[in-house]
Amino acid sequence: MRSDAYWWRWLATGLCFAVFGAASLGLGLAVLPLLRLTAAPAKGRLRVRRVLAAAVRAYLRLLPVLGVLSWEFTGAERLGRPGQLILANHPTLIDVLFLLGFAPGASCVVKGSLWRNPFTRWPLLAAGYVPNAPTGLMIGEATAALAAGQSVIIFPEGTRTVPGAALSFHRGAAAIAIRAAAVVTPVYIRCDPPTLTKREPWYRIPPRRVHFSLRTGADIDVTGLRARASGPLAARELNARLLDAYVRELAGP
Amino acid sequence: MSAQIFEMVRGSLVELFGLDPARISPQSRLADDLELDSIDAVDLVDHMKHLTGRKIGPEDFRAVHTVADLVQATERLLRS
Repeated sequence: MRSDAYWWRWLATGLCFAVFGAASLGLGLAVLPLLRLTAAPAKGRLRVRRVLAAAVRAYLRLLPVLGVLSWEFTGAERLGRPGQLILANHPTLIDVLFLLGFAPGASCVVKGSLWRNPFTRWPLLAAGYVPNAPTGLMIGEATAALAAGQSVIIFPEGTRTVPGAALSFHRGAAAIAIRAAAVVTPVYIRCDPPTLTKREPWYRIPPRRVHFSLRTGADIDVTGLRARASGPLAARELNARLLDAYVRELAGP
Repeated sequence: MSAQIFEMVRGSLVELFGLDPARISPQSRLADDLELDSIDAVDLVDHMKHLTGRKIGPEDFRAVHTVADLVQATERLLRS
């Protein structure tokens, strides 16, 4: 049964995608490259990321106004610290916007298809984010970013959660954490009802308005683990711990 | 293949991955038998860099599939 202004939400959703595409191109091809041109590489990248974060926050404020979704984010002020590895689960297409918007200046590990997407590739290149492949490059660049005092956003799942399947984390995030993170901070993302998942195309919007609820969890200290075990073994243990934390959090109310 | 280098490599694998030394022979395949993946490969290469004191590029380890390959690649590095 379709309710809650279904057709308005459907139209507004389409409009939001169009705005996203236009903004990605406009920022990515014109504004952001100019910011890079006028500064040294590291400073230019930081400027780009901050401008992107501001644009993303404006977009996130637009979405509830248009009635397509509502959202709340507790603990966002704890994001964006030097050497912080920010983890999140990945139920929907737009999760990353919340993280980019509220951890300004952070770098982000981004998967291959987005670097090839004709809309998103330009802002990604301007911001100097980290590619997720090849493995050695990802680990090297993410580690270097953390060591240089940046915060880094990464989705341990590597891609959106498969609805109905058990949560599964690639060890890359844990490996990066063990190597170079000053602190590891998990963000738990819930989306109800589910939307923009791996399974559904964007135009299959849910019967009622979507609510995103994000919570920044307690910091995870990795210094003890790092001292106790070899890199690979510490990463395996950390990965298991992280997965367990997420499974428990997301299972609850 | 040098027995000394083989022991050094085997010792590294045990230390890094907690493997049983009895399971490691020159024919052991890193991925299929010892269950190492691409992340482990990065850690392994870093470890070999420290051990040999040599700069290691991706080409040096590209064709490494077995422990014997790893020992030979290490020998080449030490000779260079």
